[in-house]
Amino acid sequence: MDILETIKLALEAIKINKLRSILTALGIIIGVASIVLLISIGTGLSNYVSGEFAKLGANSIFVLPGRVQVGPQGGPPRSINKITFDIAERLDREKGPYITEISPLIQLSVTAGYKGQSKVTTLAGTKSTYFASSGIMAAEGRVYSDRDDTASRKVVVIGKTLAADLFKNDTPVGKTILLSKKPFSVIGVLAPQGNAGGVDIDNQVLMPLSTARKLTGANQVNSILVRTVSTKEMALAKAQVEKVLKRTLTEDDFTILTQEQLLSSILSILSVLTMALGGIAAISLVVGGVGISNIMLVSVTERTREIGLRKAVGARPRDILGQFLVEAVILSVFGGVIGITIGFLGSLALSNFLKTAVPLWAVLLGIGFSSTVGIIFGVAPAIRASRLEPIVALKHE
Amino acid sequence: MKALIDAQNISKIYGEDSNRTVALDGLNLRINKGEFVAIIGPSGSGKSTLMHILGCLDRPTSGKYFLEGKLVSNLGENELARIRNEQIGFVFQAFNLLPRTKSIKNVELPLIYSKVKQGERETRARLMLEAVGLSDKLNSLPSQLSGGQMQRVAIARALVNKPLVIFADEPTGNLDSKASQEIIEIFKKLNREGRTIVMITHEKEVAGKAKRIIAIRDGKIVSDRRVK
Repeated sequence: MDILETIKLALEAIKINKLRSILTALGIIIGVASIVLLISIGTGLSNYVSGEFAKLGANSIFVLPGRVQVGPQGGPPRSINKITFDIAERLDREKGPYITEISPLIQLSVTAGYKGQSKVTTLAGTKSTYFASSGIMAAEGRVYSDRDDTASRKVVVIGKTLAADLFKNDTPVGKTILLSKKPFSVIGVLAPQGNAGGVDIDNQVLMPLSTARKLTGANQVNSILVRTVSTKEMALAKAQVEKVLKRTLTEDDFTILTQEQLLSSILSILSVLTMALGGIAAISLVVGGVGISNIMLVSVTERTREIGLRKAVGARPRDILGQFLVEAVILSVFGGVIGITIGFLGSLALSNFLKTAVPLWAVLLGIGFSSTVGIIFGVAPAIRASRLEPIVALKHE
Repeated sequence: MKALIDAQNISKIYGEDSNRTVALDGLNLRINKGEFVAIIGPSGSGKSTLMHILGCLDRPTSGKYFLEGKLVSNLGENELARIRNEQIGFVFQAFNLLPRTKSIKNVELPLIYSKVKQGERETRARLMLEAVGLSDKLNSLPSQLSGGQMQRVAIARALVNKPLVIFADEPTGNLDSKASQEIIEIFKKLNREGRTIVMITHEKEVAGKAKRIIAIRDGKIVSDRRVK
């Protein structure tokens, strides 16, 4: 009997036993659907993170104190912060042709208070150029200027969330708030920026860098934001930063991260996550395979008389083996295709919340996995069927 | 004349030692082409075992079995399957039709295993169903047929591959007397057309329709007579 006849025969048997066939395929359908769905969620997360990073601007380099490793071997910085304002200023003086701006950043958590209201917020001390280069504007009032910075004026610009929480319906501009119990006057409220990676960036206070230095008394910066002329000069700019820093610091005292590096390390973490989700789904596929095996075995028992008859009229053991094996594979592949369709629809339904995407490899994985499962778990019942003695099988009640 | 079926000193023994059961005990049997033989005997006499061996469903423990002059008792499983497919037709007591499968598909079954193409399979199956008087039941399912009709489908299936011999194991055992009568008439007609039929039965009346009656007891032939 050739393979085409075997497939026809198997298809007929599947059609004749519709309910049993559907139940058999169900395990595979669920398994493949969850593989496709979970992978699409993982892909969606990666897309989301990439998108958020793009918002930060692609031509940025971050200088962080200590040796920070990103990726799977990452851990906390091991040395104390040796990046001082002197170093930041030197970098600014020797920034070379590829860097447009050096922006040291002081960042700490403070409690902001106004008329009995108080709220924990993030304080950032930046240079005035920060606003222009980040494209952040004031919705009310104004942002601070270079002169405010030079004079270390006690002025702040606050984010929308903080303004709403502290001032309720009051106008913030012109009022005085307390930060770490010291008074600062609000000169502006920033236009809302929304969320970045789940953090509300509208809950923050910005003040001139020199003012922040005086407030905290710190001699070190938390990070330096370096803006390059364009993404193409990234490597050259990075080399320049490295050259200047190495004059006074060792390799272990600082870390230079480019946008790309950060993104790729986060994406690599996410891809591990995606694989883990897929792995969980794969387990359900194996469970589905056991289901196939189980139902095929029951089906061999139930169809013992049929097998006996087929043998009596001339089926060889290998014909029976082929028929049962092909039945299992067809059910698995059929289950796989339905599972992929369901997973795809699920992913479409989720795309309102997350930019889910079903990559081609997930589809191939689903089909490949389900047919493999079908073969592996179909073999045992098929062998059992092929070995049945015709006279025993014919008498089976 | 060379016999169609020539069984020489056939024994079949099941089990070992204390469980040892002798189903056939050095049995000799010759059946010529065109005969209509009834094999009778009480249950446990070995008549079913004999039919399984003659039908190439089983192999004897010892002895030689020649089918149309060819030694088949030492063939392997695949060769036996081929002989069953091409030279033997079976009719069973319980009909053994594939459930939820149309009559015509049931009749086509042996042809699938002899690699006959779909179109020819259908033509031949239809002709066979017409020959047993079921031309209006081609697309009926077994559940829509009476016992007699199901057995006629089974006979059509046994005939479709033009076998040398038809083995019928209690073909009327599940049928009422009217349907039994119809089935026996079909066998008689087939025999008149030259077909060899070997039928196992425990019903005296049914056996009486055959041309030769062989009685078996304890794995041996105890009587072998021709009916006028």
